[in-house]
Parts: sequence; structure tokens; C-alpha cells
Amino acid sequence: MKKTLTIPHELGYKSVNTCRSELSRTKLRTIVRTSSSAMGKSKQTGNHKSDKKKNIAKTWKTKRRTKDLDQIHCDMKPTNATKLLKQEVDYDITGSAQHYCLHCARYFVDLKAMKEHFRTKVHKKRLKQLREEPYTQAEADRAAGMGSYIPPKTVEVQTQPVEEEMD
Amino acid sequence: MRIEKCYFCSGPVYPGHGMMFVRNDCKVFRFCKSKCHKNFKKKRNPRKTRWTKAFRKAAGKELTVDNSLEFEKRRNIPLKYQRLLWNKTVEAMKKVEEIKQKRQARFIMNRLKKGKQLEKEEAINEVKKNIHLIKAPHAGKAKKLEEKMVEKLQEDIEMGDD
Repeated sequence: MKKTLTIPHELGYKSVNTCRSELSRTKLRTIVRTSSSAMGKSKQTGNHKSDKKKNIAKTWKTKRRTKDLDQIHCDMKPTNATKLLKQEVDYDITGSAQHYCLHCARYFVDLKAMKEHFRTKVHKKRLKQLREEPYTQAEADRAAGMGSYIPPKTVEVQTQPVEEEMD
Repeated sequence: MRIEKCYFCSGPVYPGHGMMFVRNDCKVFRFCKSKCHKNFKKKRNPRKTRWTKAFRKAAGKELTVDNSLEFEKRRNIPLKYQRLLWNKTVEAMKKVEEIKQKRQARFIMNRLKKGKQLEKEEAINEVKKNIHLIKAPHAGKAKKLEEKMVEKLQEDIEMGDD
């Protein structure tokens, strides 16, 4: 019983194996391994020190919802993009809403911070995600058998140009 | 009343089931179960999530392009009830479904054939590479030599007897 308390996982694993022969056990192990690798390991990295990620469930709440990829795709249209990149001064928003990263939908304190952000993994990852056409309900319907599959198109996405003169 | 399709997994959403999320730009998302809703909240991509229909189609696991998939559609034109038309449609639906099932099953079976072939090739390669484990490189040679020696000896003995 003590063992079950300390390593319940291992016991469950053993009980599965005992009824099988030695050869099939190795097979089973390989199956287990491949299935776990197919799922992929958790993509959460650097969670130890971050205060922001202390309670992940809170970040998923609807009231804290951040912009979705399809909304950002909509923002990337030239008419919307110019509006977002040249916003009026709003003292309630970070950096008076003067430094906005279009792709990450984030405000920055100053130009330096924004430029630093452009070189980060988060930003580059976001650009990569945006390269694919956004998922829609129409695609979900097609996947369910309402029409043939249409592969998503790729869109070229680049970091917004930054005007050099500050003042 | 309509049976909608889940935004995340493409499963059917029956009236009174699942939930609907309306984003602040009025876009509607329907989910068949809380699992799908939770995954949506975590901003997972249905194309990359293995258990969704979208993934299976995108990864070529299922039949993607076929005429049998073109019948089921969202038709927003109301039709006047006609008994004959109704009967015919129901019959046609059954037939289309039957054909669709057959084609999908055949597609999957054909897809799996490739794996079996590759497995066989790999097994043959493995045996070829590690043949020394089954049969030692000089296994036959010593025995053959011994046999030859024995034969010669016997011949010699016979010669000696004569």
C-alpha cells in the first residue's frame, strides 16, 4: 500500500504488464513512448519565477480574454493597421497608446521597449502563427463533412516598420 | 432548428447542448462540450490539436476531397413542403451516407497499406544489416573443412587397407 501512495503511476503500469509476456512488455513500452511523444510535451517554459503565470486558470477567463489570431488578421488590413499604429494620446493606456505591436496586440512604454520586444521569441513565434490563414467556423464545417477540405493559405507577415525619429 | 457544428472539434451541437460564446465583435462560436470550450479559451489551434476533425483532415488522415462530401450543405433557402420531394431526399441521404462511409473506409485502408509495406522493408533491412547475429560469419567454413578432412582420412584408410 505504501508503494501505491508514493508512486501510484508505477503500480498501475506494473499491473498492466504482469499479465503479459516479456516480449509484449517491450512492445507496450514502445507504444506508450510513441504516443506520449506524439502528443508533445508541455509547451510551458520558464514558469518557475514568473508571477504572471502563478494561476494559469485565471488567465483563461473570458474577462481577461486577449485578441484572437483572426482578430489580429483583421487588424493587419492596411486601413485598420494605420489606425492602430497611429492612435491618439490616451493616458490610461501603457505608453499613452503610442507604441503598439500590431501582431502581439500589446502596448509598450517606449520605442526602446518595443524594439526589444521585436527581437524576442514571443514576437517571432506570433509572426509564425500569423503566417497561416486563421481558422474559421467554415473550416470546422468542412472538416465535419460539409464540403471538401481546402488547405489554408500562407500569408506573408513581417514586423511593422518603426519610424526612427522619436521627437 | 438546426444541428450546428462545433467550432473546435467539428462535432454536432444539438439544440440545448454545448455552449455558445459570443465574442465582443459579435462573432459566434459554438462548442459541443466543455472540453472544446476550454481548449478554445486556451487559444489552442484546432488544426494542431490531434483529436479534432480539422487536424485529421489537415494531416491527411481522412478522406478530404470527394464528391460525396458535397451534398451536406447549409442551405439558407426555405422550401415548401412536398411529400414526394421529402421522401426522395430522405432516400438520397441514406444512399449518399452509405457511399460516403464506404469511400472513407477505403481511404483509410489504403492509407494503412503504405505503413505495412514500409514495415516489411524495414524488417528486411534490419535482417540484412544484422545477419551476423543470426549466422556467424565463419559458421559454415570450419564444418566444411572438417568434413573434407574426415573424407580424406577415410580415403587414406581405405587406400591403406588395400
